[in-house]
This record gives sequence, structure tokens and C-alpha cells, in this order.
Amino acid sequence: MINVTIDGKTVEANPGDLLIKVAQENGVYIPRFCWHDRMKPVGMCRMCLVEVEGIRGLPPACTMPVAEGMVCHTETPAVKQAQDDVLEFLLVNHPLDCPVCDRGGECPLQDTTLAFGPGESRFVEEKRHFEKPIPISDVVLLDRERCIQCARCTRFADEIAGDPLISFVDRGGHTQVLNHPDHPFASYFSGNVVQICPVGALTAKPYRFRARPWDLATVETSCGQCAVQCRGALQSSSNRLVRLLGVDSDAVNHGWLCDKGRYGFEYVHSDARVREPQLDGKTVSWPQALDAAADALRSARDLHGAESIAFLGGARGTNEDAYAIARLAKGVIGTDNVDSQLGDGLPAELILGVNRAAIADLDTAAAIVLLAPDLKEALPVLHLRLRRAALECNVPIIDFSSVPHGLTREVTHALAPLPGEQGKRAEQLVGALNGNAADAIVAAAAATIAGRSGNIVVVLGRSNLAERSDATVQAAAALAGLANVKFLSALRRGNVHGALEAGLAPGILPGRVTIEHRDAVQQVWRTAPEVPGLDAEGILRGAIDGTIKTLVLVGADPIADFPDRALAIEALNAVGTIIALDGFGNASNQRAKVMLPVTMFGEKSGTTTNLEGRMQRVNQKVSPEGIAMDDWRIASEIALRLGDDFDLELVDEITAEMIKVSPALAGATPALLASSHDGVRIPVREHATEIKVRKNNAGLLDGEGAVSWEPIKADVEAVDVELATHESADESADESAGEAGAAVIDSGETPSADKATITAPTAEASATVAPTAASVLLTWNRIAPSVSLPGRDAYAVRLVSGPALYDHGNAVNASASIVGLRGPSKLLVSAADLQRLGVTNGTEVHVASAKGAFNIAVHAARGITQGVAQLAMGGERGANALIDVGSSATDVRVETIQ
Amino acid sequence: MQRAQADGAYEMWKEVLRRADVQWIHDEVKASGLRGRGGANFPTAIKWESLPDNGLPRHLVINGDEGEPSTFKDRVLLEGDPHALVEGVCIEAYRIGSHRAFIYLRGEFALGADRVQQAINEARAAGFVGTNILGSGFDLEIVVHRGAGAYICGEESALIESLEGKRGMPRIKPPLPIHVGLYSQPTVVNNVETVCTITHILKMGGAEYAKLGVNRSTGTRLAAISGHVKQPGVYELEFGMTLRDIIFGIAGGIRDDKQLKFFLPGGASFQWLINSDEHLDQVYDIDDISAKLGTTLGSGAIMVYDQDTDPLLVAWRLAKFYAHESCGKCTPCREGSGWIEKVLYRMSHGLGRPNDMDALLDISAGISPDVMKAPFTQTTICPLGPSPVSAVASLQKWFRAEVEAACGTEAQA
Amino acid sequence: MGLAKGFGVVIRETGKKKRVTTLYPTVKRPKPVRFHGRHVLNRYEDGMEKCIGCELCAGVCPAKCIYVRGADNPVDAPVSPGERFGFVYEINYLRCIHCDLCVEACPTEAITESKLFEFSFTNRNDAIYTKKELVVDDNGRAQRMPWEHWAGGEDDNTSAWMRATSSSGQAAYEDRVNWSGELGFGVRSAESGQTADSMADAPGLNEGDAHGGHH
Repeated sequence: MINVTIDGKTVEANPGDLLIKVAQENGVYIPRFCWHDRMKPVGMCRMCLVEVEGIRGLPPACTMPVAEGMVCHTETPAVKQAQDDVLEFLLVNHPLDCPVCDRGGECPLQDTTLAFGPGESRFVEEKRHFEKPIPISDVVLLDRERCIQCARCTRFADEIAGDPLISFVDRGGHTQVLNHPDHPFASYFSGNVVQICPVGALTAKPYRFRARPWDLATVETSCGQCAVQCRGALQSSSNRLVRLLGVDSDAVNHGWLCDKGRYGFEYVHSDARVREPQLDGKTVSWPQALDAAADALRSARDLHGAESIAFLGGARGTNEDAYAIARLAKGVIGTDNVDSQLGDGLPAELILGVNRAAIADLDTAAAIVLLAPDLKEALPVLHLRLRRAALECNVPIIDFSSVPHGLTREVTHALAPLPGEQGKRAEQLVGALNGNAADAIVAAAAATIAGRSGNIVVVLGRSNLAERSDATVQAAAALAGLANVKFLSALRRGNVHGALEAGLAPGILPGRVTIEHRDAVQQVWRTAPEVPGLDAEGILRGAIDGTIKTLVLVGADPIADFPDRALAIEALNAVGTIIALDGFGNASNQRAKVMLPVTMFGEKSGTTTNLEGRMQRVNQKVSPEGIAMDDWRIASEIALRLGDDFDLELVDEITAEMIKVSPALAGATPALLASSHDGVRIPVREHATEIKVRKNNAGLLDGEGAVSWEPIKADVEAVDVELATHESADESADESAGEAGAAVIDSGETPSADKATITAPTAEASATVAPTAASVLLTWNRIAPSVSLPGRDAYAVRLVSGPALYDHGNAVNASASIVGLRGPSKLLVSAADLQRLGVTNGTEVHVASAKGAFNIAVHAARGITQGVAQLAMGGERGANALIDVGSSATDVRVETIQ
Repeated sequence: MQRAQADGAYEMWKEVLRRADVQWIHDEVKASGLRGRGGANFPTAIKWESLPDNGLPRHLVINGDEGEPSTFKDRVLLEGDPHALVEGVCIEAYRIGSHRAFIYLRGEFALGADRVQQAINEARAAGFVGTNILGSGFDLEIVVHRGAGAYICGEESALIESLEGKRGMPRIKPPLPIHVGLYSQPTVVNNVETVCTITHILKMGGAEYAKLGVNRSTGTRLAAISGHVKQPGVYELEFGMTLRDIIFGIAGGIRDDKQLKFFLPGGASFQWLINSDEHLDQVYDIDDISAKLGTTLGSGAIMVYDQDTDPLLVAWRLAKFYAHESCGKCTPCREGSGWIEKVLYRMSHGLGRPNDMDALLDISAGISPDVMKAPFTQTTICPLGPSPVSAVASLQKWFRAEVEAACGTEAQA
Repeated sequence: MGLAKGFGVVIRETGKKKRVTTLYPTVKRPKPVRFHGRHVLNRYEDGMEKCIGCELCAGVCPAKCIYVRGADNPVDAPVSPGERFGFVYEINYLRCIHCDLCVEACPTEAITESKLFEFSFTNRNDAIYTKKELVVDDNGRAQRMPWEHWAGGEDDNTSAWMRATSSSGQAAYEDRVNWSGELGFGVRSAESGQTADSMADAPGLNEGDAHGGHH
């Protein structure tokens, strides 16, 4: 630390920090337009000129690293004069559009002019003129007259997003930002430039003229579109969601959002929403619908046993929703045929049982092993974090992808396994780290890892949905044997990790335990399953063979999302009764006997858990459409009708109950979740030292100086958190606390050596609670199924498939602003295969597998191995129409159409 | 090539390679007191001394982006004696240990670029450029790059950006190009004339060269004299002459024997001088003129205007150039230069307002807080920002009355 | 006793002086110059609406009686000049306190107040004037609603009073009408008597007071 004097106040700073940042952290706001904390300084706007003793003239604070003994003045007459002058210059060509400009009212140029600018302008010449807003993409409009050339947008596109599609053209007073002719700014991250624009030059089509800043109301929440769960400030006007802004969370999203998250909430108010309960297709009242659902479940249980009932889904709501569904299924009905993943994930034991990494661990990793789908499509903001780790933190990336993807250019070593051979390749890498390199690429990758210190972070997801997960599990088993390895889950669906933590998987109970550890839930639950049930594939097969007679779809659409569409259709046609909890009608629930409308994003509060196991609060902003109800309340009502009163009225009560029965959540309380900045990571006790608490409970954007264009941050301080013991958690949870909670704590085994060191900050708490809680937690046994790949047909190509960002789900379909961004499906093959077919790029070809066939346009893509083809999931021409979930690989015939 | 060699071209390059003594080059140049001829007057040897020794490759970049109105001295070298440039590049590259030199030429210098490229080709054929030059083990490739017509690319960091294929915009300094330059590697950027002079210094000996000129302004420099003089052209001037000698002696005096009204001693970017004994008797000396008269000799251009010239029109035309050439990076330059141009246009076209001159001074103060003082302070990254300010300051200094006559005064309003 | 005294006054005064009451509503007095009545939304001479849907009126309204939503101007048939127009415009006259702050806030002089104030609503919906009712007709006159009581000429002056003089309140703008031409009615001559001296004399006023003449 060094000492710097700013306006007479001596403060401590890290050497090399920029003066503007040091000043801000110490309460001195130096006005700026171009500087953004998450991007490299550029020194363009000259608004932050200050005086630094010993330096001639007025250097900009945004490009000035602090040095020991630096003395800086930010309020001298010379500085004031310079601020006046720069603002007058900026306003010379800035049009008086404020009344019609979306930024008007929250405009940094307005605010800065008021605070630092001259009273009036002497400019009497004609202002610069450009054509008024021109679309630079389908969602972003550019008004070049308003632009003040701060280069925030162009730098974002280039440095952060890696889509350098906009840049400055022309010069002098005519300098303007433009996209390249015929190349729109079609970036998945384009909405961020609108948020960070310091004027209204960049406006978002979806938000355009929808509201003025003064009639917006804001809550902080997490986006639920994917498992990254970026923090956002959700704003509504007149009880309609109008805008989602990225909140700068160090842990998660650094303030960025993808366009699907930013604009994809429109589905909430879509006309396609189911707004009222339906029984056999007719609108009914809630009591009628709930009675019918309960009757169906009761009679199924009584007639065919609890095992004839299955629950699919639950990964789209809150943790509380998932927990209540889990309690209904496992604790009331008594079935373990429950799966929140639809055959597109990984075994719950693996995800819950490995040493989990945080997103921030990427920055300090020795190497990142990429064993995941195209993150740009699946988890866009995680893609940005990996890009940053690679480019800013120089972390090498070792890639196990079979096909090119968004991060291909940042990859250090591409091991390029053929589809299905990820496990073999991983074993080779592990071998190379132990001195037996199979080939030069593996040897180089091993050398890179060996040359660096820190953890190896494996980004683990399903790199190919056109094969069983076995090869990925095999790779994970091999890599998990390394020392210093951590896994960052890359499962995609919104709250799938929360659902798994809440026990929505066969053989799993809430709190990262298997059904063997039933004692925790049995304090509260009436029953708990004793034998592991079926996973999604098993449930669908059970429906076909008649063992599953009643299927509860909790926001699940297996026909659209299960990798094997034919199997899903057959199963849903065969099953006797379907009960659906959903916001939308879809192919899977059209036969539903009872349709129970549920609340969606922005309509409910609770907690969600992201892919690093971070549990954070989500908040309600608008009242639900129609008479939709929260999933947890529906589960509670059905349970009541089945004779089990949950006695839960408020979200906080159910959160507290969930914590009480979840060993991994021990130590948390609803109050802690509400006050902690960046939430808490699971297991809570292991990560207790990371918890930071908000200084005050002021919401985002309503404090002084909180503006949307700067990184939106909550006011935090690091304090030692005194984690609740189970007793106190119980007290805050419900009134009937006490002995049951203590029972868990005392019934412990001896603490394992590695966990004993990780204790809560207070000695008392750790002494009484930590050992037991840690010891029951699931540890993956690293048993991997053997992979037997079918022989390759010389005429077929082996399919690699993953999700597309703009998929065919309801969030996209019912969001008018982004549905148009979805491109047509296309089959990507190698240039050699295209040549072999004898067709040109874009020609329609016929693809066929054992499961299905259709016509689709074929394109050659650089980087695809011969014999491999890439096709996204979803839609009429999605890979799920071809995939056989029973096979270790999907080979498809590609034929020209005569 | 033969003609050039007959005049002694590449003799010194052979001598350098024969001696293989980097220190000798350095000492001679240091002794000569050679200062950069691009306008900033930074001592060349000192620049070499600041090269970091960090194991990274070093680059030599020759700045031939001569784009300022009235400056055309480098063009004469490029078109007239390209072999002198190539030889100078070889020697300097040898001094700094660079194996790749870039000659960045103004896009409009088509003829110069052709000739320089031809000279490089000939030199390569003769073994003066390439790998293992004349058996010395020293490799050097010279690349000619033509700019795309932006004046800002004469600024060294913008030139480097342009050379890297980016938009020509100055970089934030520090770090200086000498530390982090082309491709983030140490880079020496020198003017064409500077490089050509090195050969002559070695020939003469540094101490001998330093005897030419006065004070710290040693040797000679090329000056491009233009405007209303009888014999405009490029002249090699020894430092120490008076401006009167230059304008009325070398350049032959004012055209049509009219009266001198004012002249720009250092190109378009610096303050003007007028027809007064004090100004005309000023010695052509980099430091002296700046200390006494608050202007500099800049890029070595002298523009002379006779009695019939409207200074407002000159100021507007210069401002128009800078408004057009501002790269758009810094707000004060981007917006200020355009504003100054618009006001000067009105003033010089009979649409002036009484308070225009004061407004101009205020606007200028936004770009360069101490408008009337030289050298300027600036609120911009590079010195292009304050360039149009010198015209405003000069109007205020010497022609306030004339401007008021044209635009009226506050009192009349 | 008191009663007799009171009647005494009545009897004494009867027929003595000119009558000060009028036969309202048959006879109406002219309204004061600065009277604030119900609003109108003005249009330009070519029929374009002046309102751009900026919501500044709604933002400044102390009674929160104005509801405005903007929308993208249709390119083929623009409603107002520029990018944005007032898509929804509603004023709830059960809430409006006729303070005129909306008029001051309006950047395009779109909203002004007429002299009309006599409504008799029979339901709450009628009290919410929508854009359809607020926009002036093709002659620039306020539209007459069935529940409004109009006397002749009361719709003549629709422009607000402070716009008839300097918008800055500066005495230097004495006699200058800072009010661009509008469709039909309401451009009034500037108020006089705002000389620098009188401004300085007026209690509580100074040159910097944005709307000095208001008081």
C-alpha cells in the first residue's frame, strides 16, 4: 500500500491503481464519461482532468496510476475551468433531445453538466447533423448526433464481448460510431453498450420510450434465463417489467448481461401466458383445480403405489419452489421418481459431490479445462468471464470440445477429442501430467499446467447432447483424481443447481445428501424415500411401459427439451394423467388434466442458486399475471389436501425450513441471505469467510449518486459473519424449533480432517455445528460408466449438439424483442464433407437417423473435423429429433435431395 | 544507385559495419548535439539511451508522414535522395539493434514511396539491406508503409497505431513508444531528416558538426520556405542566421517587392511573427526563439505573407485544416477545433460579431489553458489539440485591432 | 337582537348601491388573465400534435394526475414531429389542482390551460380526460364536452399566462412574446410593467427568479 493525497486527505491505495478509482473509493467523485471500471482506460473525454503536483498541465485521472506521495487536487480553479470547458465542448454538438431521449432524467451528461458544467453555452453555430436513430442491430439503435465519442461501446464490443463490430469512422467533429457496412452489431451482448452509454446515443428497441426514469421502480434480483444467474436491477413502470440492468457483482457477472437475459423477460407479460387454472381444458377456480390435482395424486398413490407417480422439472423456479415440490413428492407422496434435469444434464451425485469452483476462481486458475458446451450459447456471461480469465489474467485454456465454439480463439491447447472420446482424452491428459504423454498436444497441455501454480478449474457440462453423458462423466472421473482440481458446473437451465440442492433428483434429499441421510428431513417430513428412484430417462421409459401412470410436469417440457424427442412424445402419449405447473401451454402439457398457472420471473420472491452454488435472493417486482400462484404455494396446497399441512405462509418461512433440513445450508438464515452481498455459497459453512454484508439495506439505484451507466454496486463492507447455529436458525425459521435441529448436530460422526479446518468464524458455532454438517455431505465416488462407442459408418457423420442461446423455449418464443434474433437451424459440417456431398454452402440436404429425418441447410464450418456434424437442439429441425438417448453416439446420414 | 554511390552513398554504412562499434555511432551523434527534426527537438542520442534493455525486439520507425500545411522538406529528401534515407536507416538500426525498420510515408507521397522502395530494392540487391549484410552477421529489413491520409499519423503513437493496422489515434503516454511502442515492443521513432543527418554526422565527426549552428541548436536543418517570397523552396539553413537573412536573403524578399506583413517561423502549428525589427533580427535558434518570442521553429517550415493578406483568412484556413484533421479522440480538440473553425469562418467572411475574438480566446483556453504563453499547456493527449490555438493567439497578439475593425467591438454593439 | 341588527343592514342597503352579484351561470364575469382552467393539448398549424410524450408534465405534477406514455412515431403517418409522440395522455380532473406546473415543464408548449373550469361529472370516468378529449380541434379550439358549461368566448384564451411574457422572467425581455404561433387561439400580447426598476422594487423578486412575474 502506498499513500496518496487527494484534496488534502491522505489515503492508502494499491500501487498502480488509477487515480480516478482511488479518489472514488475515498469519497471524491471525479467526473468522467469514458472511464469504466471494467474496461481499460482510454483518456478520451478529458472530463477527469485534475492537478497533480509535479506534473505540468492537467493530466486525466483515468489514465494516471497513483504513486507513492502523489498529491492531487480535484477542485482547484484550473480544474473547475477545465471541467467547464470540456462540458461546453461536449454540448457544442449535442442536440437538445432531452425530452424525447430515453436517457433524459438519468443522463450522465445532464447530471454532470448540472454538477460541474457552465451555466450556458456560447455556441451559436449550427450543430452537427446525422440521420436520427439508425438501427445497428435488431435491438440497438444509434443516434450519432447524441454521441459524445467516449468509446465505451466500441471498447466493450472489442475488449469484453470479443465482437468488434462497431468502431469509429471519420474524424474531427464528424467522428462517429458505426457498424461495418452489411455487418450489424449482432452480438449476444449488445444490450450492455446501451447500459454503459453515458448519453442517449445508444437506445434499446425493447425499452425505447417505454418509461421515463422517474416512473421506474427497481428491485435487485437475479436473472433466471441460465444458471449463471447474473445479478440485475429489475425495473417496472405501471406494474409492467420494462428493463433489466446488469448489476456489478464481483462474484458473478461484473455488471454484464446477455441480450437474452436483458430483453428476454418480456415473456412474463406475454398473451400466451396461462393466467387461470384449468381442469380438462376448462378454466376453473383454484380450489377446484387443486382438489382435482390432489385427487388424481391420491388415487394414483392408493391404486398403484407412490412409485407410479413421477415429477419432472422444477429447475425454473426458486429454491423454495423446488424444495416444496421435493417435499410434496418425496415427503408427502413418497416417490423418488423425481428429476429436475431432462436428460440434458449430469448425474446429481457428480455435480453435488465434487469439489466445486467459484466463477472468480477462473481468474486465478493454473489452467481452465473446458469440458462444456459452447458457453457463448449456453451460459453467455460465463463465456465473458472465461474470456477475461484468458485475456486479462492470462490463464491457459485446455479445450475438450469436438467442434469450434465461441472461445476457440482463446484456447491454448485444443485436445479435440472425437465425439464420445472426451473420457479417453482426459485420461491421456492425466497420464501426461504423470509423465506418460500420448501425443504432443497432450504433452504441451500438461506442460502448461505443470508450469503454473493454482487450481485447475474444470468447466464441466454436457459438451454433446447427441451422446449419453458417459464420456463426460468418465472425463470428470479422470480429472477429479488430480490434486488441486475444482469443478465449475456448466449445467444450463436457470435454477437447476438450486433444484438439485433442494433434492429434485433421484436418490437425493435437500442439502447435498443422499437418501441414506434421511434424518435431517425427517425432523419435518412425514416420510422420505428409501430406494433411489428413476431419472428423467427412466421416468419416460416407465411411462411407456406403464409403470409410471401419473406425471407431474413442473415447468418442464420434455418434448422440447429432452434430447430424444421421439421417446418423450411416446412417453407423454402413454402416461395416464398429467398434472402441469407452468406459465405456458406447450407440447408436453397440452394433454394435462390439471393445468396450474405459476408465477414467473419478477413475480415472485425467494432464493436461487447458480452454477457455482451461490444462493442469492430474487425479488418480486410486479404482481402476477392473472391469478398465477407460486409453485411452493401450490405444492403446499396439494400437500394439505393430501393430509399433510406444511404450515408455511411466507417465503421466508419456507426458506428457513429448507435451511433447517439441508445440512449444506446449515448456518444460513433468511436474514443473512437478505443482507449478504453476493449471497452465500453452498456449503455455507465452508464459505463463511467469503460472506460480505451490505452496509445498509438501501436498494440499488435509489441511493445518492447511483446511476445506471456506471457499474451498479451495492454498498458493502466485509464483516465477520456470525453464522447461525441450527438452534438460532430454527428460531428465526419457525416457532416449533429446538430439539429436532439439535438432533442433527449431535448425531454426527467424527469430523473428517480436511473439513475440520473449515469452520465458521465464531468458535462457538464451529465447535457445535460444523463437523457433523460437513461429514454427511455427498462426495462423488468417481465411478464412471464404461463408454462403448458404436462403430462408425463411413457414410454417416457423428452428431455434436448443444443448446443455442436463442432457443425454441417459451422465454424466447414469447419475448417479441428477441424471438426475431433466432437464426434458422443449420447443419455444420467440415469443408471436406461438404465437398464429398457435392453441394455448396446453404444447400438443403436430407438428414436421417434411426429416430427421425428432415431437410435442413448445410454449411461448411472451419475447425470441424471430417466425419463430425454440428446441429443445435430445439425446433422442428433440432438435433433432438435425431438423437437416440440410448446410444453412446448419434450418427446421421446426410444425403442430397434429388 | 550508381549515381548515388558515386556521391559516396553507403560508404558510411560500410564503415559502420567494418568498425562494428555501436558506441562510436552513439558518441558521435551525442557529441553532435543532434536534435529531432520532426518538430519536438528531442536529442536523438538521449532517446537512444532511454531504450529499455528488456530482451524484447526493438523497432525503428521512420516518420515520413509529413502532412502539415507548408512543410515539404522531407519530401525533397524522399524524392531527391532516397539512398541517403536508406543508409541513415541502416546506420540507426545498427545503433539500436533493430532488425526491422518501418518507413511510414504519407499516403500522398506516391512518388517518394516508389523511389524509396526502389532504393531499398537496389540496396538489397547490392547487399546493403537484408540478411547478413556484407558478411557482418547483421540483418535488417526495411518496410515501406504508406499512410491513409491522416495528419494525426505524424504523431508518433498514432503512427504506431496506424502501422499496427488500427485507427490512427494517439496513445496515452506514458508509456512512451521508446518503452512500449510498435507491437508493445521498444520503438524508436525518428523523422526522415534526422535519420539522413546521422550519416553526415558520422562523416564529419560529431564534434565538427556541433561547431555548426549556435548554442544547443547545432548543425543545419532543412527549411521549407513558402508564401509571398520571391524564391520559395527548401533550403539547408545553418542555425544562427537571422530571420531577416532567411526571408530577405535566401528567399529573396517579398514577392512584387511588397511589404512583409507577418510570417510563420515554425510551420502551421506555432505562433506567428510580424514585420518588426525585433522579430526579423531574431536568430534562427530553437531555444532562443522560444524563450524570447514565444514561438518555435517547429517542423522547419517558414510561411511568409505580404501586406495584402487578411490574417483572419489565414487563421481560418489553418483552423479548417486542424478541425478536419483532428482524430476525434480528445473532446477539446474534436469539438474545439471545429468550433474555432466555425467562428473564424464567420469572422473572415464578414459575419463576425463583436465578442467573437474574446469567445475564440475562451474556446482556445479550453484546449490550451495558457493561450498566450508558449510552449502551450494542453488538455489533450497530443499537440494537435493546441495547434489551431496558436493562430488565435497570434491574431490576439498582433492583429486585435484589425479583427475588431472587421467584426466590430463590444462598444459599438 | 342580533337578528334584527342583521336584517337592518339588509334593508338599509337594499336598492342603495349597484348590485355586485351576477346571474351566474346565465351571466359570467370575465376570468382574470392568469386564471387556470382545464387543459388543452395544442397542435401545430399543419395539424401535428405538439406533445412528444416526454412525461415531464407527469413528472412535475404534484397531484400525480397526469399519465403519459410515449411511443415511437410511426414513420408513415407521424403524429408529432420527431421520434416520439404522446401515445397515451390522460389527466384526472378529480385530482388536478390547476397549479400550471405542467405548462411550465412542457418543452414544446403542447399543454396549456384554458379558462374552462365548470364541469359536472356524473361518473369518475368522465373526469379522466384522455388525449382524444384534450387535443384541440382543427380550428385550434378546445373540444366541448357534454358535461362542461361554456359561456361564449371562454375557450378563446388557451395559452398560459406566463408564456405571454418572458419565459426567463428577465426584465430585459419586456414586451417580447416568447410564444410561438399555435393553431387557432390564445396568443396574447405580452404583459407590461415588468421593467427592470419595477422588478427590482417588487418584494421577493430578483432578476434570477425564473418566473418573476408570477407573484
